[in-house]
Amino acid sequence: MAEAAAVVAESLAGYRARAARAVLEQVVLPGEELLLPGQEDGEGPGSAGERPLRLNAGARSGGRVVCGPGLRRCGDRLLVTKCGRLRHKEPGSGNGGGVYWVDSQQKRYVPVKGDHVIGIVTAKSGDIFKVDVGGSEPASLSYLSFEGATKRNRPNVQVGDLIYGQFVVANKDMEPEMVCIDSCGRANGMGVIGQDGLLFKVTLGLIRRLLAPDCEILQEVGKLYPLEIVFGMNGRIWVKAKTIQQTLILANILEACEHMTADQRKQIFSRLAES
Amino acid sequence: MKETPLSNCERRFLLRAIEEKKRLDGRQTYDYRNIKISFGTDYGCCTVELGKTRVLGQVSCELVSPKLNRATEGILFFNLELSQMAAPAFEPGRQSDLLVKLNRLLERCLRNSKCIDTESLCVVAGEKVWQIRVDLHLLNHDGNIIDAASIAAIVALCHFRRPDVSVQGDEVTLYTLEERDPVPLSIHHMPICVSFAFFQQGTYLLVDPNEREERVMDGLLVIAMNKHREICTIQSSGGIMLLKDQVLRCSKIAGVKVAEITELIQKALANDQKVRKEGGKFGFAESIANQRITAFRMEKAPIDTSDVEEKAEEIISEAEPPSEVVSKPVLWTPGTAQIGEGIENSWGDLEDSEKEDEGGSDEAIILDSIKMDTGEVSNIGSQDAPIVLSDSEEEEMIILEPDKNPKKIRTQTISATQVKAPSKKPVKKRKKKRAAN
Amino acid sequence: MAGLELLSDQGYRVDGRRAGELRKIQARMGVFAQADGSAYIEQGNTKALAVVYGPHEIRGSRARALPDRALVNCQYSSATFSTGERKRRPHGDRKSCEMGLQLRQTFEAAVLTQLHPRSQIDIYVQVLQADGGTYAACVNAATLAVLDAGIPMRDFVCACSAGFVDGTALADLSHVEEAAGGPQLALALLPSSGQIALLEMDARLHEDQLEQVLETAAQAARDVHTLLDRVVRQHVQEASILLGD
Repeated sequence: MAEAAAVVAESLAGYRARAARAVLEQVVLPGEELLLPGQEDGEGPGSAGERPLRLNAGARSGGRVVCGPGLRRCGDRLLVTKCGRLRHKEPGSGNGGGVYWVDSQQKRYVPVKGDHVIGIVTAKSGDIFKVDVGGSEPASLSYLSFEGATKRNRPNVQVGDLIYGQFVVANKDMEPEMVCIDSCGRANGMGVIGQDGLLFKVTLGLIRRLLAPDCEILQEVGKLYPLEIVFGMNGRIWVKAKTIQQTLILANILEACEHMTADQRKQIFSRLAES
Repeated sequence: MKETPLSNCERRFLLRAIEEKKRLDGRQTYDYRNIKISFGTDYGCCTVELGKTRVLGQVSCELVSPKLNRATEGILFFNLELSQMAAPAFEPGRQSDLLVKLNRLLERCLRNSKCIDTESLCVVAGEKVWQIRVDLHLLNHDGNIIDAASIAAIVALCHFRRPDVSVQGDEVTLYTLEERDPVPLSIHHMPICVSFAFFQQGTYLLVDPNEREERVMDGLLVIAMNKHREICTIQSSGGIMLLKDQVLRCSKIAGVKVAEITELIQKALANDQKVRKEGGKFGFAESIANQRITAFRMEKAPIDTSDVEEKAEEIISEAEPPSEVVSKPVLWTPGTAQIGEGIENSWGDLEDSEKEDEGGSDEAIILDSIKMDTGEVSNIGSQDAPIVLSDSEEEEMIILEPDKNPKKIRTQTISATQVKAPSKKPVKKRKKKRAAN
Repeated sequence: MAGLELLSDQGYRVDGRRAGELRKIQARMGVFAQADGSAYIEQGNTKALAVVYGPHEIRGSRARALPDRALVNCQYSSATFSTGERKRRPHGDRKSCEMGLQLRQTFEAAVLTQLHPRSQIDIYVQVLQADGGTYAACVNAATLAVLDAGIPMRDFVCACSAGFVDGTALADLSHVEEAAGGPQLALALLPSSGQIALLEMDARLHEDQLEQVLETAAQAARDVHTLLDRVVRQHVQEASILLGD
């Protein structure tokens, strides 16, 4: 069904935007305009302007629509700004609306509030650490934002250490700020990452795939060896297994996942499990 | 732009891995990464890939008046450019220390070793000589620039043809390519740089360091050598203390490596010449169509399984996934995931390539595979005549050779049985050679 | 080789030396008043001056300071009148830059830089007359200057060049021997431990002969060490006599 609709939409693409519903899970390109559900039936570009879309109203049949990464609101439509696959998540409450976003294979990270990232401490200056997170500027991290840290009891952080933390401030006008505690003041897994283990970089898309709740890769990896692993939304993965060899194998598998189909991956995992 | 800082944990891990004789990409201590050489349409244009490090070489020439003190010698000029394309940390338009060092090394390696007969470049003594200019551009930086650059420089020089000239009295006539066949340069020998990285004050040594290894190394020793085992340049750098024995050992290893690389270069050159003569398609444009040299080609993703004895089985099995790629086309280009050290799979990768995976010890095997390979080339006679020299320390291994007819790959209609067939062939051949030996 | 016979049948070189023999070395420490350390050396006709400042505050941007050790800054220049043909620029060409880099590397290895974090050590070397073995002369002069400045070092660094003619390794090449185009090797050695701080070689030499040439150069460097040792002892003695000990 969706395919047929897509073909129709494609043939009409010259003069008319495609319906967002129709291109779900398909590749969209920057500059494309998408129609939201509720508009697609019979509405030409001409009439669209007369009924402005109330993205925040939630009163319409579609409910609330949220533009995720790679999409912008453009009048009453969605304008695609990155290339990738269009994704959609239904809202919990009902039909229509929900979150739309584009899954792109970006490499450069842009800080987002609430993201958990792995950073490298580049400098200590007074009360704050400067942390490289791969963004456009280093993030700041106060020495007080560690679990149990007080003015007297400073955390032991050296230049070059790895930090797993969360962004509390991340917008285009301000220096990003990280913390290593949650709102209750607990570490909750964040803080300085141990001295061993290996850090490597993958694309942001792979990280998102790995962090998806139903990610098979992670479960399969977990069956291989006992391991400790940290994923940063900024594309960094830290992994540690019992031996250097195992750590290397794990790191290489995860890096390779970027280019493997599910079948290939399964083969490799089964082979590794046998050995 | 600043480069990403190296974290303490990466540094420690790398050093510990090196202590355990393991490397991030699953190579052995003395292994080179894959070397690939491809040629452009013009003479004297080539790209060399050393793993992910790639260098573009282009040779050009013009008639100039010679230097006063060397009236009968042509002029050789080398220039290596580190652009920001290659890595974010390079600054444009500045002569950084690294750049000066690399350029001088290249000059010393190629000019001072007199690998090119500069006197043959003289047209009219004291008035007109050829100036040969070698421009090298680093396109991607993943460590060991100097080795890649020196290979690119010598390959480009070997590949280059200058226009023919004739002198009658005072008159110098320059012939275009159509009028007379261009003339190759006279090259005495091919010096090639081999880099050795030292770690922990010289306790550990690695050949062909990649970018991460370069960042944790203490020092570097570059030895340029030709296949006659004549040392053309030695240069140590970084604050390391070497011992005499280490230098001598390195020179031995360099000798082995240089022999292998020279072999590859000569094969690649011969192959290119053959294709040109037969009127086949050549040049980068041809490669782009096959997605051979485009940047978004599949990167290899080897998995370190260094305990070969234990895991030989698994390595062999991991050579199989490619068949799947062919039978079921996937999104990416016809390179494939590669796994396990020493297994290079060259499906759809019809380029001149070589896999070198042997430590210095097993020369016999190397020769073996080379013989085998030459046989292969003559058998094939396809347009692209791939060269894949691959070898490894494992006894039982499968080398996936590219299919005889590249067109098949493009149409992607090969069944699994067809796929298996060529892959077995080299193994059989090898056995034959063994028996012959 | 056309023309010149570099090694006669009797085993003598063009300037009358034996194969492993050094040229005459004369050196003086403390030749300048302003500098923290300075030295002058003559190796045959090769003459070099070295001046050392430091360890001092980082000059220029503070960002260059290293948190764990001192920054060593070396500059090499050769006087315009130092060579047979007059040079246009005393420094700044690729060769001088490279020489500066190599000197820096040599002294980064030899000076205990970790004792002076966040500071800078400047070494300026000027060649007044070049007659072969400039790198070696520069290193030897700079060693004396660094010693004169009292900067802590692991050991002396002594350098010497070596070549290879007709199956014999020659130590301490002169300009004539260098210009003949044979292989030439320069080596900076820490004499007591036998460690090599820098090794460079040009032109073709068969691998099998490497050991012989290396050994000759190392032996020559050890000889240089004996001579420099004497110079330093004498200098220190003179200085202490002046102080009235």
